[in-house]
Amino acid sequence: MDSRLQDYLDGDLPLEQLPVELRREAATWDVLLDDIRRTAPAGAPMGLDARVLAAVADKRRRSRPRWFEWLLRPRMVPVPPAAALAAAALVFAVISTVGPSDDGATGEPQVYVQFIVDVPAAETVHLVGDFNEWQPTVELEDPDGDGVWVGRVSLQPGVHQYMFVIDGSDWITDPNAVSYQDDGFGQRNAVVAISSFNGT
Amino acid sequence: MRGLEIRQVTDAELVRDALQGSDRAFGELVRRYQDLLFRHAERMTGRQDDAEDVVQSAFIKAHRSLDRCRDPEHVGAWLFRIGANVCKDFLKSRRATVSLEQVPGLPATADDPQREAEMGSMRDQIERALQSLGVEQREAFVMKHVEGWSYVEMAEALSVSVPALKMRVHRAREELQVLLESYGR
Repeated sequence: MDSRLQDYLDGDLPLEQLPVELRREAATWDVLLDDIRRTAPAGAPMGLDARVLAAVADKRRRSRPRWFEWLLRPRMVPVPPAAALAAAALVFAVISTVGPSDDGATGEPQVYVQFIVDVPAAETVHLVGDFNEWQPTVELEDPDGDGVWVGRVSLQPGVHQYMFVIDGSDWITDPNAVSYQDDGFGQRNAVVAISSFNGT
Repeated sequence: MRGLEIRQVTDAELVRDALQGSDRAFGELVRRYQDLLFRHAERMTGRQDDAEDVVQSAFIKAHRSLDRCRDPEHVGAWLFRIGANVCKDFLKSRRATVSLEQVPGLPATADDPQREAEMGSMRDQIERALQSLGVEQREAFVMKHVEGWSYVEMAEALSVSVPALKMRVHRAREELQVLLESYGR
């Protein structure tokens, strides 16, 4: 195709600057492009918004793990604070208490919990649980790109349920969690029990 | 005495409220941008049901990652990027399983039966030709000539340079010309 005709169709060259022999072809293109625009839909079909919102709500309630479980080999190992980093290099998935602190607002003791999970194929990994209202606010990091994702959160001692979200859409249950809790929708949440350092 | 003040809630306000758990706010975002995403998806996939699936998947992804929308005032562009990416993923997965003959034309709408038949035939030809283009060429062509984006807007939305986008559109035109000539247009 003549480059001047391409320029005209790009809007970079007015019709009158086209050679006469190209103007007929330009007119044919104008008709064709008008045909293409006229055959395009005006907008979304009626009711699509309701279906979308129902799907969003359903997905949120019934997120089902679809990730290959063999990618996950987590287990729970208590790790003293000084050894936390060393432990991270040795195990594929660890949930460990690495140090207590106080919540300035409530005075409740807080325990830093480190989550480690091996998901080489993931682009993002988030930790969701009852401690963050199941919202993807805790993003795990894989700084060296080896597929081992690490994240640390501050939790109050007690029993917490959690899951991992891979690439923003695949919710996975930790297959080697110490215990599980039915989520009410036929799936299981992993459960972690956090005790404070003084044993309370 | 102040009168009643009515103004449209901004996109940024809707994003903020949705992040705080407001389903109503997210629903308003869906209503504002579903046409934009659907038109693109329909032209890209060539099928209304596939386009609906694409739009649905895009909004589910958007809902899950709304906290990563860096510029809530321009959430529409962010949503479009998600929709366009979902579309491309869908087409790549479909490419090996759907032949061109399985791509239907759009439903005819003209009142005159003869005109309706002509329009239907034309739609089929255009639809088949568009579906024959590579995904990235089709995307650039649809944005430029169906949705009326400027090259600069396209570059911002797709994170692709203007010269690269022009090349895609140019090649798309050349391929369309050959295809439509082979259909007898």
